[in-house]
Amino acid sequence: MTHEWGSAHDDETARALCETALGAASGPGVGYADVRLVECEETRLYGRRGGERDERAELNLGVGVRVLLDGVWGFAAAPLGDEADIRAVAARAVAGARAAAWASDERITLPPRPPASGRHATEAAIDPFSHTGRHDLLDRALAAAGAPEKVVSAEVGLNAKRQHRHFADSEGSRQHQHLVESGATVMVFAADEHDVQRRSYPNSFHGNTAGAGWEYVESLRLVEEAARVGEEAVALLTAPPAPSGTGDLVIGPAQMALQIHESCGHALELDRILGDESNFAGASFITPDALGTLRYGSPAVNVTADPTVPGTRGSFAWDDEGTPAGRRELIREGVVVDFLSSRDSAARLGLTPVGAARADGWAYPPVCFATNVFLEPGSGSLEELLDRLGDGYYVDDNRSWSIDERRWNFQFGTEVAYEVRRGRRGRLLKNFSYGGVTPRFWGSVEAVAGPVEFRAFGMPCGKGEPKQWGFLGHGASPTLVRDVRIGVA
Amino acid sequence: MEPYVGGDAAVEALERALAHAKGAEEAEAFLTVRSGEYTRFAGERIHQAQDIVERQLMVRVVVGGRTARAATSRIEDPGAAVRTALALAEGGAGGGRPASHRVAAASPYPELDLWHADVEAWDAAARSRDAAHAMREAAAAGGRAYGMFGRAVTELAVATTAGVRAYAAATEASGALTVKAGGGSSYWCDLGRSAPALGVREAVERTVAEAARSREPVELPDGVQDVVLGPLAAGELLHFFGAFGFTGAAAAAGVGAVARTPGARMAAPSITVADDALADVGLPFPFDIEGVPKRRVDFLTEGRVGEAVTDLATAARLGTPSTGHAHIAREESPAAIPANLVLAPGTTPQDELVAGVERGVYVQRFWYTRVVDPQESTITGVSRDGCFLIENGRITRPVAGKRFTESVFGLLSRVDAVGDRVATQALMNVWNGAATAPALRVRGFRFGPRP
Repeated sequence: MTHEWGSAHDDETARALCETALGAASGPGVGYADVRLVECEETRLYGRRGGERDERAELNLGVGVRVLLDGVWGFAAAPLGDEADIRAVAARAVAGARAAAWASDERITLPPRPPASGRHATEAAIDPFSHTGRHDLLDRALAAAGAPEKVVSAEVGLNAKRQHRHFADSEGSRQHQHLVESGATVMVFAADEHDVQRRSYPNSFHGNTAGAGWEYVESLRLVEEAARVGEEAVALLTAPPAPSGTGDLVIGPAQMALQIHESCGHALELDRILGDESNFAGASFITPDALGTLRYGSPAVNVTADPTVPGTRGSFAWDDEGTPAGRRELIREGVVVDFLSSRDSAARLGLTPVGAARADGWAYPPVCFATNVFLEPGSGSLEELLDRLGDGYYVDDNRSWSIDERRWNFQFGTEVAYEVRRGRRGRLLKNFSYGGVTPRFWGSVEAVAGPVEFRAFGMPCGKGEPKQWGFLGHGASPTLVRDVRIGVA
Repeated sequence: MEPYVGGDAAVEALERALAHAKGAEEAEAFLTVRSGEYTRFAGERIHQAQDIVERQLMVRVVVGGRTARAATSRIEDPGAAVRTALALAEGGAGGGRPASHRVAAASPYPELDLWHADVEAWDAAARSRDAAHAMREAAAAGGRAYGMFGRAVTELAVATTAGVRAYAAATEASGALTVKAGGGSSYWCDLGRSAPALGVREAVERTVAEAARSREPVELPDGVQDVVLGPLAAGELLHFFGAFGFTGAAAAAGVGAVARTPGARMAAPSITVADDALADVGLPFPFDIEGVPKRRVDFLTEGRVGEAVTDLATAARLGTPSTGHAHIAREESPAAIPANLVLAPGTTPQDELVAGVERGVYVQRFWYTRVVDPQESTITGVSRDGCFLIENGRITRPVAGKRFTESVFGLLSRVDAVGDRVATQALMNVWNGAATAPALRVRGFRFGPRP
């Protein structure tokens, strides 16, 4: 697909603007500076059954400048107008750092890094911005989702995003990434006089968005799946409630993605571990000395961070402070071996940064966010895993989630649960919930299904003050967990 | 401190946008601008000194009865966005129902006290001094401080082909502080239009002292206790009124409290909750992004279910005028939502709230609360920070955070006293969103899993 859209596709022009910013982000005490110039375009089409369409396109272009002055950070950002705007942004970043410097006893020294420069582009077969037929697909999916009699609300959304992300720093890195995303969401509510039930596809909470072209949306079989979740929402109205007690579970990939996000991804963010997010996003039960010693889960638990895996919202070639992407183990056979770190947080512990500094567009400073944080697959099929389960429950698709600020105690609900008897899926159950304590839960993982069952999901997340969005990838195969507390809500 | 764009330039940009929309039957355009400075600190440093300007000009056009929007950060060139919107509206013909709502016509807007010049003085240097003070005080008490002090100017301008020309600019000041000490902690946050009204230095003193008292908290057993919910814990309950059916979309779909139990008593008579953009607390604002004047919308009046907030689209579906609550959240479809929730204060000082509990728990705030069952208004979350046992009407030992799963309406129906002082917290993912509440005394709050 074409990369030649917008104002920032041309490397020469963008680099000249970045050089202007770097030139202005200087002065006494400035030891490091970087600039991110980002142009982002999104298109969204939403429809509700029986309602109007809402279609929108959004374009934003701006610049964010970060400086390290006497070991203290300053950051400023503004929409891009002309070169004067850029110089003003850089000057504000320096002024902010200078005002903060006298109040800071702790100073940061970044270990030098060799420059890394180049271009990277998402592989996209079908350009989502020139593809036609979205309205037709939306109409058919809405009709399918809303067909059952007791469906009271059906919403379908189709979305795409493309970005030019330019990065330059005072150490010589010059990078341009052209990132493309495509996604869809279906959400159905069914109601009777006693109850309201929800089903979603391809994931709950904003559906799913992939780092890919429109071919991803075409692969979703959206109309057939919309019909399925519509029928399931109605079936849930008369399904028996899930029981309370203790149970063995096979948790499906969508719910596992959320489980990983909340109880692995966030817990392993090094800025949280060091306290930087204590006032807003929270801290972590993991301590800085956990590397190589903290048993997080059973030997079946292997968690990696790998932005080089294509296809999700956590896929990229360099993070938002220019660190090259690479595969890193975070948990090896149940033991913590690395953190999701930025240059700042890694420097404070003398570690090599993982490349997990990420920022929402140009307007926010990079913080530690998950990239593609995956539970590595084990072996076998879902059916084999259910056989191994024996009696228990197969659950998937998140309905509600909550976890404490240390990422220790969690409680999740799922949209669907199926009773499993002697390895066979049986009755549909509603209002399933489970809860636990993070290392105990991961310590109860008995097995993970194989690569053929692996699914990855793109997820939005919030962090920072003011809150910024992070767009991440999490994935897993169905996972067998024993002795889980269920029916907690 | 001045508006980043200003009224004349903002309205001029919108008029230029509308001038490009000649091919549309109707058009509306709005411009949001936020220029904010945020001093984040943690432990012994200011780790994120931020100065951020964001702006978005969005235009909605109606062509052949179909509607589409386009937005740009480049207000110098709104024509490109308008052309995109026109192309989308024309290309979308045939999909969905024709637009049922028109653009807003000119209306008088309420006069509100939005601009507080005192925010000017709370610049980066002053905020850095306050941050240093907080970190020093916490360290002197054997703890560590983490927080954010910030100020901002919010601007909104709206213009429509039906004659709306509206602009307002508002100051904002916000503070949040977590102090950790010896396994315990305390938290404070507040926000509003004025900086001195936050009382930052007093808040630092209070929070450091509470954190010092919260060392070595004991575990709280599962079970039902009488509680005093501090203003921040009580305010958290307000975040869910949208999910419980107080929105036009829910009312039109026939689900939630307004549609299913209008006029029913869902809370104690001492509980009155409104979305009140005209209040002098929280983040008041005179109109929404469609240019409709905001009005107070009563959700619970003396405990009884009232009405829902609407935008032009949901108001058209319900056959009522819009209440002025149009909103477009990131990565979501447009929806009317509450934006300045206020739980009316009562007359009971906090000491008396506590004195009325023989044995129970003071809960400073909740964390990561999420809806479990909107029908039952059930949420789950954990209590955290400055939480203490109440014994014989007095606050005694600190207690650790504890998970709970409770019905919000159930809790509000068991309130027997309402505090006389309020605190405000931001509403997540809501433009200019805030929730303000006093402390509440609740008879019977279940900690731990539901039986």
